[in-house]
Amino acid sequence: MNLLRIRRFMLSPYTLLSAAILIVPLFVVDPFWINRLGLYLVFSILALSMALCWGQAGILSLGHGAFFGLGAYCMAMSLKLLSPDSLNQGTPFPLPDFITWNTPPGEALKLPWLWVPFQNLGFGMAAALLVPALFAAVVGWFVFYGGVSGVFISIITLALVVILNLVVIDQQPITNGFNGLNNLAPFDLAGVVFDPYGLPAYYLIAGICVLLLLGLRWLGSTRAGLLFRAVQADEQRVQYFGYDVAVYKIFAFSLSALIAGLAGLLFVVNSQYASPTIMDVSISIAVVVWTAVGGRQSLIGAVLGALAINGAQNALSESGSLVHVWQLIIGIVFVLVVVFLPRGLAGLGADLWQHLRPQAKAVEAPALVAEAELLSVPVPQNSHQSGQRQS
Amino acid sequence: MKRRTFIQTMATSAALTSVVGCSRGAAPGSSADGGETMKVGVLFSLTGGLEIVEKSMHDSTLMAIEEINAAGGVLGKQLVPVVEDGASDPRVFAEKARKLLISDKVATVFGCYTGASVKAVLPIFTQHKGLLYYPTYAQGNECPSHAIYTGAVPNQQVTNFIDWTMKNLNAKRFFLVGSNYVFPREMAKVAKIFLQENGGEFVADEYLPLDHTQWGPLVSKIKELKPDSIFSNVVGASTVAFYREFKNQGLTPEAIPICSTVTSEVETQAVGPEFVAGHYSSFPYFQSVDTPANKTWVANVKDKFGANTVTHHAMECSYWQVHIFKQAAEKAGELDPELMRKASLGLEYDAPGGLVRIDPDNGNAWLTPRIGQCQADGQYKIVDEYAGPVKPLPYVAYGETEQNLYCTTSGLDTTKFNPQEQQS
Repeated sequence: MNLLRIRRFMLSPYTLLSAAILIVPLFVVDPFWINRLGLYLVFSILALSMALCWGQAGILSLGHGAFFGLGAYCMAMSLKLLSPDSLNQGTPFPLPDFITWNTPPGEALKLPWLWVPFQNLGFGMAAALLVPALFAAVVGWFVFYGGVSGVFISIITLALVVILNLVVIDQQPITNGFNGLNNLAPFDLAGVVFDPYGLPAYYLIAGICVLLLLGLRWLGSTRAGLLFRAVQADEQRVQYFGYDVAVYKIFAFSLSALIAGLAGLLFVVNSQYASPTIMDVSISIAVVVWTAVGGRQSLIGAVLGALAINGAQNALSESGSLVHVWQLIIGIVFVLVVVFLPRGLAGLGADLWQHLRPQAKAVEAPALVAEAELLSVPVPQNSHQSGQRQS
Repeated sequence: MKRRTFIQTMATSAALTSVVGCSRGAAPGSSADGGETMKVGVLFSLTGGLEIVEKSMHDSTLMAIEEINAAGGVLGKQLVPVVEDGASDPRVFAEKARKLLISDKVATVFGCYTGASVKAVLPIFTQHKGLLYYPTYAQGNECPSHAIYTGAVPNQQVTNFIDWTMKNLNAKRFFLVGSNYVFPREMAKVAKIFLQENGGEFVADEYLPLDHTQWGPLVSKIKELKPDSIFSNVVGASTVAFYREFKNQGLTPEAIPICSTVTSEVETQAVGPEFVAGHYSSFPYFQSVDTPANKTWVANVKDKFGANTVTHHAMECSYWQVHIFKQAAEKAGELDPELMRKASLGLEYDAPGGLVRIDPDNGNAWLTPRIGQCQADGQYKIVDEYAGPVKPLPYVAYGETEQNLYCTTSGLDTTKFNPQEQQS
């Protein structure tokens, strides 16, 4: 029995996917592709945050780009101040180059107060996680205690990302507007330099992705995870049981925003760039599409969806002949998946998994086991117990 | 049991290798100067809000490459363009620039239109050793070490324009308006400094996002303030909405002329000539330039891309800069970016708009300033023209003169121009 459990763990889709993510660099030597795979994994982390928020807690956020972008900007501000260019502006303090362009003639140059604490890299990193999380908590407090639900949450979050995007573009003297922040210092943590084209940066991103995959799976198996799904199934009923539903929703929403901020931080490590186009409507919608195509209730699905769509997108947009239609193709794939594979790629994977192990059919509820594994629902023994607890 | 695990392992590893196979296949590693071909990067937006303008620049770049190939190539090698789409997004420009330099290993890239996209890719060219030929009019205040700029800088497009407007249109009070990013903001700053020095004034300084189309309130503000002239740095799709709203609210070019540094023949075509007619633009090249060389070039362009195609300044630069590249490569003997940049300096070419020269000091281009007034057919009547090409001065607003250069081959001289002094 013990052996069987170990085998099941070794062969679970989680272990296989994690192992695949970690051993890919053995096969890919081109630094450009190491960097690009790292970028895909950053997007996978963003998709994981959406899977938590939408798939587990049932909050369809159309504004996750805001959290991703806030995380990226916080990190980029610190790295901008550490770049040789900012340090050599002839001022006694580091000064981003664009501030000199944006200061009206005749005014003294100074570092805007918003930038001052970001001279400390640790502050920038912490802010990249906490600013999105706090922002989400405040928004969540108003939204969930205000009794807003369903489609209105999506509309509010969508409006948020639009507003934030406009503010960042408009405040050019502080944010460099549409140009974004570039020419950043490489990320240097305790002597380890994370060159975006090197293995350390890839493993930093891959490691965090794997940890989140396993961590969120664990979260799904806890009582909180169970409540998330219960709220999604029947919110009123959970409320009648005496749970403060809003608290759970705010928790899920903020944690999801924190993970999105972390993805933003890693995006900057990978791309050395932050601009308003990474905190706009299109990326917010894109992450919903990745998660839906992968299967929103599955963590693995979210990762696979982000990898598959971003990979396809680059392959198509760089193919020459398809440059004008690639967006159309992605759109059609999305529609087809939603119509014919409502459980996404993960659902398809679960079905195929079944076909690969036919003899298991005789044993205890195998379809359930396979799907539970893929959809990160607790394994049957647990679900029996928790089912009893619930009733 | 064993068989099953075996199959699963096989399936997984097959999936893995196919992923890796794809990635290898898409990343050709052949070097730039191996064999009978030579790879060059071409990076413009083929999709998104800036597609109309950038597609024409992309087309004329490829046209020049074809001509060069038909005439035997460069150093006996055929040029192979590696085309990427910047998708009107600086983030994508940065990503594709990295792909071109690191994965495709091209040494030279022709591309970029907006100042935002150039700012996004320049650090990449510096870091990964590439050379960018940038064919668009720029805002100045830049001294890049890994680029050749072939479009106009402020002393070839802005200072002459404001000077002319003040003298010939009797304008004193200017309304400054632009898209919200680095180019329009710096252009407006240059205009303000110049106005201050010459007894003019600005009554407003407004910016709207790049793809913004709601011009109602801003045009109302123009009506209210009644400026003598509008100095416009509006870019891309929002140009269309701007001119239309202007006319629809009853304003005329006779009462308040729009003086634009961005609206060329191609934007005029998109807006509709009836909305632009009567307004002014400043460019070193107009389709109406009356020389045999230009007539031949315009005819070739129409032949290739259709009778409705118009030519414009950035498109002309996109074309002739490839010929400068050819000369430079033949002078340098190889595509090493640093040698190539050195070799480009001082080169001359008989471009459609007249003689051009790459400045030996700052790597911008000597161009002939011209001012045109839009006619009912969307073509520009040249109302002012310099006798010959003028030396580019990217820091003209900050006191740079031909005798006192700030940007030279050794980079920006910070003893002459540094942010601290600039402010005092």
